[in-house]
Amino acid sequence: MNLRINFSSGVPIYQQLMEQIKHAVETGAIRGGEQLPTIRKIAEELTMNPNTVARAYRELEHEGLIEVRHGSGAYVAERGASTSKAAGIRKAGEVLRAAMGQGLALGLSESELRRVFEDGLSRLQDDAAAERRGN
Amino acid sequence: MLWYKAWLETKWRFVFLVGSILFVWLTPEWITATGVHSGVPAARLWMAIQLGSVFLFIFTAIFLAGSGINTQGAYTFTPGFHGSMLFTLSLPVSRRRLLFVRAGLGALLTILLIAIMAGYILHLRPEATSALQALAYFTRVIACTMAVYALSVLMACVLDEMWQFTGAFIFWTALFLVQSKFDWVARVSPLRGMSLNCYPVTAPIPWAPIVASLVFAGVLLCASVLVVQRKEY
Amino acid sequence: MNEIIIAADGLSKSYDGKPALRSLRLEVPRGSICGFLGRNGAGKTTTLKLLLGMLRRDAGSIRLFGEPIDSEASSIAARRRVGFVSEDKELYPFMTVDQTIRFTRPFFPGWRRDLEEKYLDLFQLPRKKAVPKLSKGMRTQLMLVLAMARGAELLLMDEPTGGLDPAMTEDVLQILADLAASDGTTIFFSSHQLAEVEQICDRVCIIDQGQVVIDGVLDDLKSEYRRILLVFDGTPPRELADLAGVDHLRCRGRTASLLAHGDVDGLVDRARELGPSSVEVRPVTLKELFLDHVRGE
Repeated sequence: MNLRINFSSGVPIYQQLMEQIKHAVETGAIRGGEQLPTIRKIAEELTMNPNTVARAYRELEHEGLIEVRHGSGAYVAERGASTSKAAGIRKAGEVLRAAMGQGLALGLSESELRRVFEDGLSRLQDDAAAERRGN
Repeated sequence: MLWYKAWLETKWRFVFLVGSILFVWLTPEWITATGVHSGVPAARLWMAIQLGSVFLFIFTAIFLAGSGINTQGAYTFTPGFHGSMLFTLSLPVSRRRLLFVRAGLGALLTILLIAIMAGYILHLRPEATSALQALAYFTRVIACTMAVYALSVLMACVLDEMWQFTGAFIFWTALFLVQSKFDWVARVSPLRGMSLNCYPVTAPIPWAPIVASLVFAGVLLCASVLVVQRKEY
Repeated sequence: MNEIIIAADGLSKSYDGKPALRSLRLEVPRGSICGFLGRNGAGKTTTLKLLLGMLRRDAGSIRLFGEPIDSEASSIAARRRVGFVSEDKELYPFMTVDQTIRFTRPFFPGWRRDLEEKYLDLFQLPRKKAVPKLSKGMRTQLMLVLAMARGAELLLMDEPTGGLDPAMTEDVLQILADLAASDGTTIFFSSHQLAEVEQICDRVCIIDQGQVVIDGVLDDLKSEYRRILLVFDGTPPRELADLAGVDHLRCRGRTASLLAHGDVDGLVDRARELGPSSVEVRPVTLKELFLDHVRGE
């Protein structure tokens, strides 16, 4: 698992950690049934507070994403939902790659293609922000 | 370990004093002057020797006194801002014990040096000294020096290093002046009690200054404990 | 285990008539790493000295490990379980590194020789060197070793990473995290480095002019506080200051910046009623939380 926390962010650290662990599960970096690193290990690796790590684990357990087995540690729960999310990501990758192929076939160069994607992404972000403001 | 710290604190001062004493007593003039061969009036020399010795007694006591808490060297004159003090106070030791160990070690070293000096003075004395007279001399010199020592311990609890010496100097000078004016003060004064000029070896043991000195020392020690316990750092 | 290790209530202390602490209230639970923030002169060092019995309080109560520390005996009993690092990191000028450690060890029956070795190696402190010859950074490291290797249940530290370079600071933070994780050591330290407090502390306590203005779990504070930026067509209306939940308000030109706390959504609704042309809600960093509470505008 490749965890990175932004300590200065306004987003609570335990939430960031939860998101990162969830992401690791979704991408298959850590699968159902596998053991998570100990609280102490994560605290040591990231040089962060162990209580905060413990809280993230508690919340994840509460949400059913992980199981804490007494004496042996924390394990990723075996759930269909996680594998379907990974599958969803794979499917989206296929769709996007197909669209990229079509773009290239239409005569776009790679850098033009990249610009189209970036433009599209920022437009999507603007739309989302506008929606939030309008609310 | 407090004794170890107290020793490390006082080590160099002790060495310095030993060196000073050796220097003073081994200076050739002294050696030849106190020999039987010189025609110089022994009485005059004798007076010089024991006057000097009184000064050395006092200086030794002042120099070796300490409180155990104000341990910063004589680098700063600002009271209360010695970080090592905070380290000491954060340890699980009572302030009274800190004081007792440091003052205790200083007292032992002082007595040791005083005894050596007193012994040597008696040795230099032209006449022979009986054991009883020697014992009397040792007793009163040590008792009276303890009064000086106790005052300096109190100074160490209250003042910074440089001011400790000044405070002691002022006090004993004042006493010296007062005792020449007031007879009752002179009778109990430790300064006179340790002097061979005022109480020769042949005189009966002067209980008044001895008792007064010990009482004075005891009172000041209690005062030091109270000061150290109440003080804010 | 929610035992409260440090409990201070109504703590007051004045120097020469000038109040340094006013009715300060503080609670630090076991196993927490709590950052103690405040401007210079706000009362941080005074608080630490009171906890250690170096000063006597004028009013209020202090309990360490659940026991009051009123008598010298009780204070000594508490100090046996506490490690301390002072602000100026001064140690005995007549001792070497080795002698200082050998002097300190016997006072603490729980002294961890293994940790002592580990930290001395990590910091590469020259054992035979006399303390006055050490650089400020090394003196800090020595003091940290003395505090962290004694098997203390509570560490009270006044700017523990002052004078340390970023690599050493990271080492120290790792040690602290490890002590909290493996031994449940409670750590309460004052610091000016917001970044390191954000990294290692689960709790934060901000003190200003002798009083605690913020005290809580850092992650919770980040959830509860929000910055609301409002732009108006003219000067922002005065009613903004009266809205419930506004901790701090600053107006510049047509923009009002609110530090909001609690029912943020409700507050946003009420703010909208005042007719702003733009409303933006943002999360709050520790720096903002600190500055807004201590700069008194």
